[in-house]
Amino acid sequence: MSIRGTYFEDIEVDKIRETPAITVTETHVSLYLGLTREPAAAPAAVPAALVLCMSIGLGWRVKEPPLAVLAFVGLDWQIVREVRVGDTVHGRSRILSKRPMRDGGFVVDERSLIDQHGEVVQQGKFTFLVAKRKEVPA
Amino acid sequence: MSEQRRYFHEIPLGEEYESPGRTVTESDLVIFSGLTGDYNVLHTDAEFMKQSIFGERIAHGLLCLAIQSGLFNRAATEYATLGLAGLRWKFKAPVKIGDTIRLKAKVSAKKDLDKADRGLVTIERTIVNQRDEVVQQGETDLIVEKKR
Repeated sequence: MSIRGTYFEDIEVDKIRETPAITVTETHVSLYLGLTREPAAAPAAVPAALVLCMSIGLGWRVKEPPLAVLAFVGLDWQIVREVRVGDTVHGRSRILSKRPMRDGGFVVDERSLIDQHGEVVQQGKFTFLVAKRKEVPA
Repeated sequence: MSEQRRYFHEIPLGEEYESPGRTVTESDLVIFSGLTGDYNVLHTDAEFMKQSIFGERIAHGLLCLAIQSGLFNRAATEYATLGLAGLRWKFKAPVKIGDTIRLKAKVSAKKDLDKADRGLVTIERTIVNQRDEVVQQGETDLIVEKKR
């Protein structure tokens, strides 16, 4: 068994990937509020952190295999505008840099989330530790 | 609106909070995978993860980030929050199924914003597990209403 995905060596810096979109529904908000016990938001408001969480899954719907992530190292994230129930968001990402380490390598992924009007709603940088091909456990 | 909500000027710089604990369960991982579409093997394939350096499935980093947001609201008197402006975050150690996490937080900065009716409150946050090991750490910027 091994992690399937795009390994460190195969990651192309600067390549832009666009994800399919998802409509944020009342159901997403209800499940999220129950899971986290965040206080109920104003009607039709979507917690910003929910949109951030959903962005990861969008990355799994592109044709290219996802990064062979060993660990999520950190993120810097800005909320640009509010998302409302019924809005449809998709992601755009670009690998800014990759730095090899002994075990895998660090990859900085610049991401933005864009609504149905083409407006950026959230943006920032994710840092991942990604597996090298030879280090994938057998 | 509840009278207990605190406005920007009512939040003292340096105030500290500690939340109750919350045990992260397998159900949390499953619901979060379904909600977000993140089915990474790290969180969903028990057999594969037996052979990994973690030895078992680990929680999604963003699941614990989301859970701490709820824990913050159980630790601090509710702020008159208008929204989240941004965050800077590090994932330091894995959270496994059955681990119990707690949030330690502190008001680390306050500043005015261009709009006179609101200010920015920065909260320094550390998530620890049942062994007091730091698992996640970062800062969040909250936009908080000013009392008129």
